[in-house]
Formats: sequence, C-alpha cells, structure tokens
Amino acid sequence: MLSFKNITKVFQCKGREVRALNEVSFEVKEGEFVSFVGKSGAGKTTLAKILIAEYRPTSGRVVFQGEDIHSLHPADLQKLRRKIGVVYQDYKLLCDKTVQENLEYILQILGASDESIETDVLKVLGIVGLEEKLDMFPLELSGGEQQRLAIARALIHRPELIIADEPTGNLDPYNTYEVVNLLTKIHQMGTTVLLFTHNKEIINSLKKRVLTLEEGKIIRDDPKGKFLL
Amino acid sequence: MLLTFKRVLKFGWQGFYRSKALTAQVVFILFVLVFTTTFLFLFNEFSNFLISQTQEKVDISVYFKQNVEEAKVLEIKNELEGIVDKVKKVDYVSREEAQNIFILKHQNDPTYLEALEQVSDNPFFSSLNISAFSPDHYKYIADFFEVAPLVDLVEKVSYNRNKLVIERLFAVISNIKKAGLGLTIFFALLASLITFNTIKLSIFSLKREITTRKLVGADNWFIRGPFLAQAVLYVLTSLIVFDVLFISLVLFLNSQLRPLLLDFDLLNSLVIQKGIILGLMQLGFALAVALISSWFAVRKYLKI
Repeated sequence: MLSFKNITKVFQCKGREVRALNEVSFEVKEGEFVSFVGKSGAGKTTLAKILIAEYRPTSGRVVFQGEDIHSLHPADLQKLRRKIGVVYQDYKLLCDKTVQENLEYILQILGASDESIETDVLKVLGIVGLEEKLDMFPLELSGGEQQRLAIARALIHRPELIIADEPTGNLDPYNTYEVVNLLTKIHQMGTTVLLFTHNKEIINSLKKRVLTLEEGKIIRDDPKGKFLL
Repeated sequence: MLLTFKRVLKFGWQGFYRSKALTAQVVFILFVLVFTTTFLFLFNEFSNFLISQTQEKVDISVYFKQNVEEAKVLEIKNELEGIVDKVKKVDYVSREEAQNIFILKHQNDPTYLEALEQVSDNPFFSSLNISAFSPDHYKYIADFFEVAPLVDLVEKVSYNRNKLVIERLFAVISNIKKAGLGLTIFFALLASLITFNTIKLSIFSLKREITTRKLVGADNWFIRGPFLAQAVLYVLTSLIVFDVLFISLVLFLNSQLRPLLLDFDLLNSLVIQKGIILGLMQLGFALAVALISSWFAVRKYLKI
C-alpha cells in the first residue's frame, strides 16, 4: 500500500545542512498498524510530513497505492490527501469553524450531501464524546477535546490510511488510553494506521509492528515490537 | 457544482460575520477607497461644470456701425454659423435690444437713464456675441472681421480688449484639468495600494487556516472561493454604508452648498443624472482592488 524508497530530507538551517532523514526505506501493507518511535528530533514528524506531501524529500520516492506522491499533479495530490486522515501533533483545526463545521468541512470537500454529512458528523462526534460541544469553537475546547476533535476529523471520511502524529502528546493517561483504544478500533475495521509517538506505554500495550528511528535512520523494524530505546 | 458554489458562498459569509475585527478593518479601508473615488468623480464633474460655465461667459463681441442694416448683420451671423468646426454659438443683439438691456440694468440708477434721455437717437450698436470651441479659434474669428468688406462695417471687436483675459482663463482651466487628472491618478493609485495591502495582510494572517485547508485535501476553488466571496461582501458593505451616508449628506446639504459652489447642483449632477455611472464606478473600482488583492494573497499559500 505504501512504500518509502531511500528517502533523504536535508534542511538548510542558517547556512548549514541538517539531515532529518537519511536513506529511509520501508513498506506498509494494507490493514497494518505500524508505530514509528524515536526520541525528539529522530525524524518522526518529518517522515509524517513527507508522507502527506507537506514536505518534499531531498531524494527518494514515496509510493502510495502505486503512485509517486511527490510527482503528482497538484489537483491529483489533493484527491490523494482526501484518502488519508491525519491527526496532527498541533491539531491543525480550523479555528474559525465550530466543532461541527470542522468535521463537515472534510465531507463537504468530498461533495457529500447535507443529509449524509449531518448523520456522519453526529455519529463520529458520539464516538469521540464531543456531541455536547457541537457549536463550540476549537479554542473554547480543552487540549484533550481538541485532540479528540482532530481524531474525529481524521476518521470522519473513512480514509484508507490514518496517520497520527503524537496523538496523545497533550493528553492525561485516561484520555491517552481512550485515543489508543479508538485507533485500535479503527484499525480493526480495516483501516491502515501509522502512529508516530515517543510514548513507551502505548507501544508496549499495542504489540504491533514498530519501526524505530534514530538520527534520521530506521535502526529497527520489529513486527511485534516493544519500545526498546 | 451548484452545491460547491452554495458552500463556497456560505463559507464566505461565515468568514465575513465571524471575523468582525477584520471585516471592520477592511470595510473601513474600502470605505476610504470609495470615498476617494467619489471625491475624484465629484472634482471632475465640478471642474467640468466650471469650465462650461466659464466657456459660456467667454466670447467675442463684434459691434457694427449704426448704419449697417439688420439684414446684413444676420447674413454675417449665418456665415459665421457655417464655420461649424470653430464657432460654437452666435447670438445677435439688435440696437433696440441693447438699449432695453441697458435700461433694465440701470433701472434704479436715474443718472444713466437721464443721460440716455438726453441723447435723442438710440446710441447703441447692434452686435454679434460669438462663442468658440477653443481659445485658439478666437484669433481666427477676430481675423474674419479684419478683412474687407467686413472691416468697414465693424465699429469694434471686443476680443482685442479681452484677448489676454480669455487666453489666461483657458490656460488656468487647462492646467486645472491636467492637475485634476494627475491628482485623480495619484489618489486612485494610493487608495488602491493601501486597500490591496490591507486585504493582503489580513489574508496573510490566516496563513495557518489556508494551509490546513490545503492539507485536508480541499481544492484551490474551495479555498480561494470563500475569500473571494468575502471580498465581494466587504465591497458591498462599504458601498452601502458610504452611499447611504453620501446621499443623506447631499440631500441635507445640497441647498446650503449650492450658492457656495457657484450654483452647482450636487443632487442633480451626481445622484440623479450620474448616479448609475458613479455607482458602477465605485463598485468596479472597489471590487477590482478587493478581488485582485484577495486572489494574490490566497495564491501565496496554495503552494503546499
């Protein structure tokens, strides 16, 4: 379903080169749940951003469903992005829209009818426990609620791939458990999930494939892995 | 397509009424732009009014000797009216009319009237008052009477006395028109640049929102559309606010301002006669500036 082929990403920072990813290669099969772990600065977020074409790699190719993401026409890239649900580390919620509108927006992009949008939004809000906060704006929500809204937005259009970049970063243990539970449920429904985290407990409880990143390289690919760093 | 269009309009409306501070800022700037446009239009109309008023007052008066018959003067009048590219208007004033005008003008001044009574015959000359299209033509018209046989029929041509005044007046009007055009262009550019940058900066502040929309898969039209709809709403609001205030002021102040503006009728000239042209000009100008600046500003963040 997804393959990274010799991906290198170099940033220019005040005249010097910073190599965030160095010849990274791996493959993800359809329906897999893969966790990417590593310390801060290991390259997890850069990898996630290259995956959704927010960054272009310096060299290498990312192939998703047979297509090289970074050589797609802009209009086709937008179509591809609609097949992916992303939970961003900084949420990236639309602050000028209410909770309900943030979710509706994704379905409106896809051209869904008003009736089906209403049904789906209420259903997903029920799943993430935000049905009482329909008319609130993101900045009126707590950190945990914003995180849950970001998750709801990532899954509302039933994407084929979900990328979650530190989805529990700002959550207390109870909410962390809830989010992980939710991702597990989504995975059980057949969705491919890529989880980027440095949370040891989560990884160890999941018992799924783990790719360990260190200084921009994959140093371990463990099919039923544990967080060993 | 219709569904997308409806949604784009809805997003535009949401952006308009939710970002109240931004809306107030942009509407104010557009208000200033519309004000400048209207002021320049008003200035242009007023200078045209002044020019036409002055042009009508500037002419050549040719006085004929008392023995010249009315039929001959009317024949010369017809001949002059035939010079269509130079002569705008020719008015004939007979000796009797000239006397009546004098009497009417001095009806409250017995000294003049007594002096007139002491002269047995009508002392006035018949005359032709000639208006030209351009000051350059007055020389041509004056020369027309310098050659025989006309030169023998003419008592005097007032052009020679007024020549300097006429030429200076036209030079002043011409300079005012040139300066007016320069000022119009300068203020129009200034107002456009300020509006353009204000809208651009406002949209730049929404960089994060635009980036997010792009990252969740929205196509360009879905991102640009609401900002363009918002720009149209800014323009309409500023136009409505400005025109309501402007028309109210004109209605209220027209009669007081008229004597100060040399009888220039603001209500009739701007609102009744040229209201549609002025409205279209305001709309076109404000819309162009708002849409172009929104387009460029949004485009900057679509390259993700």
